[in-house]
Amino acid sequence: MPHQERRFNPYTENGGTILAIAGEDFTVIAGDTRQSEGYNIQTRYAPKVFRLTDKAVLAVNGFAADGNMFVQKVQQRLEWYAHAHNKPMPLKAIARLIQTMLYAKRFFPYYVYNILGGIEEDGSGAVYSFDPVGSYEREACRAAGAAQSLVQPFLDNQIYFKNQLPPPGGAHPRHLPLNDVLSLVIDSFTGATERHIEVGDGLEIYIVLAPNKSSVELERLPGVKRIQGTFDIAGDASPDVTAAAAAVGVTGEKMFVMRRELKKD
Amino acid sequence: MDHHPTNWGRPRDDRVDPYGTFPIHARPRPKEDAFGDAVKHTQQPIVTGSSVIGLKYKDGVMLAADNLASYGSLARYKDVQRLHPVGTSTILGAGGDMSDFQYIQHTLDSLIIEEFTYDDGNKLGPTEIYQYLSRIMYNRRSKMNPLWNSLVVGGIKSDGESFLGYVDLLGTTYQSPTIATGFGSYIAQPLLRNAVDEHPEPLTEEEALSIIQKCMKTLFYRDARSLNKYQVAKVTAEGVTISDPIEAPTVWGFAEGIRGYGAQTQ
Amino acid sequence: MSIMEYNGGSVVAMVGKNCVAIASDLRLGNQALTIATNFEKVFPVTDRIMLGMAGLASDVLTLRDRFRLLVNMYTIKEEREIEPETFAHLVSSTLYEKRFGPYFIEPIIAGLSKGSNKPFIASTDVIGCINFAKGFVVCGTATDKLFGVAESLWEPDLEPEDLFETISQTLMNAVDRDAFSGWGVVVHVITPEKAFTRYLRARMD
Repeated sequence: MPHQERRFNPYTENGGTILAIAGEDFTVIAGDTRQSEGYNIQTRYAPKVFRLTDKAVLAVNGFAADGNMFVQKVQQRLEWYAHAHNKPMPLKAIARLIQTMLYAKRFFPYYVYNILGGIEEDGSGAVYSFDPVGSYEREACRAAGAAQSLVQPFLDNQIYFKNQLPPPGGAHPRHLPLNDVLSLVIDSFTGATERHIEVGDGLEIYIVLAPNKSSVELERLPGVKRIQGTFDIAGDASPDVTAAAAAVGVTGEKMFVMRRELKKD
Repeated sequence: MDHHPTNWGRPRDDRVDPYGTFPIHARPRPKEDAFGDAVKHTQQPIVTGSSVIGLKYKDGVMLAADNLASYGSLARYKDVQRLHPVGTSTILGAGGDMSDFQYIQHTLDSLIIEEFTYDDGNKLGPTEIYQYLSRIMYNRRSKMNPLWNSLVVGGIKSDGESFLGYVDLLGTTYQSPTIATGFGSYIAQPLLRNAVDEHPEPLTEEEALSIIQKCMKTLFYRDARSLNKYQVAKVTAEGVTISDPIEAPTVWGFAEGIRGYGAQTQ
Repeated sequence: MSIMEYNGGSVVAMVGKNCVAIASDLRLGNQALTIATNFEKVFPVTDRIMLGMAGLASDVLTLRDRFRLLVNMYTIKEEREIEPETFAHLVSSTLYEKRFGPYFIEPIIAGLSKGSNKPFIASTDVIGCINFAKGFVVCGTATDKLFGVAESLWEPDLEPEDLFETISQTLMNAVDRDAFSGWGVVVHVITPEKAFTRYLRARMD
């Protein structure tokens, strides 16, 4: 019998969907929390959205092992940057860093779609989306992952007002208010959960506000929690890491997370 | 005679440079690894263990795995322990290639000894072991030379919380209140989730043990690569305990009446 | 490349309050090349039933004619108009006749039943497995996009004009993200009193 070579496949797909929308002075970055392989749900809570600095959040989707490892490497580079420059890395610089890191593995890529969201140095909300080998652009909104094809056309319609006429004599709003954006994110994920088997269980929404934006109305919403910023990786930072983060002004006072349940079937 | 000094003392390769004409900067280099071609990467597991199951309960975590190591369909080794204590608050369970698992055991034991020699009072808990394993597994997969295992890490963290996590040959990781690998993800996981997720209170030790036993028995009935001899490990505030091999009571009387099982030939 | 994507095209139908709507794009392609932008995929069956088909264009035309024949035969034999649910079963059995060498189309049926004016929609797969959905049905190369938008935009008991807006937005935004569908859209709305058809100004790229 001729020997046929069966090669080890270093990749798999772990399902899930991520989404980010930029407002005028805020950004919302969300992802579901289901992790699956084929028809098997591995866990109902595996975060895909990660805080990088007090103004930047990264959502990763695709091959979970690559995703987690990539996030940790980005976080390490950001920590080094903060120690070298005595300030957190600005959002657009993080975007370029991510492109470089992704392209560095052009011939053995991270099988991951990245969406970076946060606040630019000028105080505007921003979303950067990447392909697995580092092509990227700044956008107002982007969906990626298993249910990208379900969510993105809905966002075209509701965020960019595609196929809608502006009111007579008026124009479409350039940016939506935070409450509308949160409703759209929740609707997008409940819709995707209904029609895609790899989406569901839980929804984790990160909200980053520009320094001058009030958080009063946001904190009144149910399930919203303010998060303290550090450079920690696993969520239990050592005191000196926390102190180092505080020393460079990373306090995260304008970042919030909102957790909601999604259907589990 | 090789006239290039840089080539002196090196084995001459007449196939590449029969007259020794290479300029110095382009002299024939030996391969970085002389035996590179002889290195074989793991392409498939050989001696394998089957499922590992685990769950969190009130006092900690409980893991179970049977004592079989198969060679294909041959039940080759029937007294293999697939649960391995790491440090004082972690237990590791493994399925997949048993030689790779022994390598992992060796690596972790060395790590624990090294940590011990520092004598700084620092103890590696389950989160540290989990992270360490995920790096080892991910690095090996990235070299296209994986350690062919599904690993379950259970334990008690330094803050007293219980921990249950999964790492596999691709470097895929996750944590969950219940975990089952391999065939157990089809057979045992539904039973475990039914017991844990649907239960308002955390399970007691007795309840946890009884559901673990039910799972191992069901696996023995349905998994052809399993053995009715298994061990249960638990990690609580008191530390790690691994039971002696247990046998589940099974009933085979019904098999007589099933075509293909009993005495009848047609 | 799949035969189901050879010509491209998508269809969607929705239920409203005492009304139904069915819409399709107008593209006819030869893989990535657009051949025509006036290829309708929705056809009247009776005054109050419409049939939409997405898939292989030659089968769309074949089946349009075949269903016209079958419905005419039914009308002559029964001396009455066919009901939407009956027609759905006619579609199903016609497709299942070719179980092992199928027509490469997925049909969608939308109509109002004769007596009660009850809205009815249904879709089937290529071999006639019927899906009696409550709210909306979709098919074609933009299926997943249509599902995503429709799941978020559609709501029960829409009045005819609101239903028209909902199905139009659903189809246009879905086909704008699908390379094989688009190049114009046609929408049909059926109410007990009247049926109307509108060609929408959509993106032509």
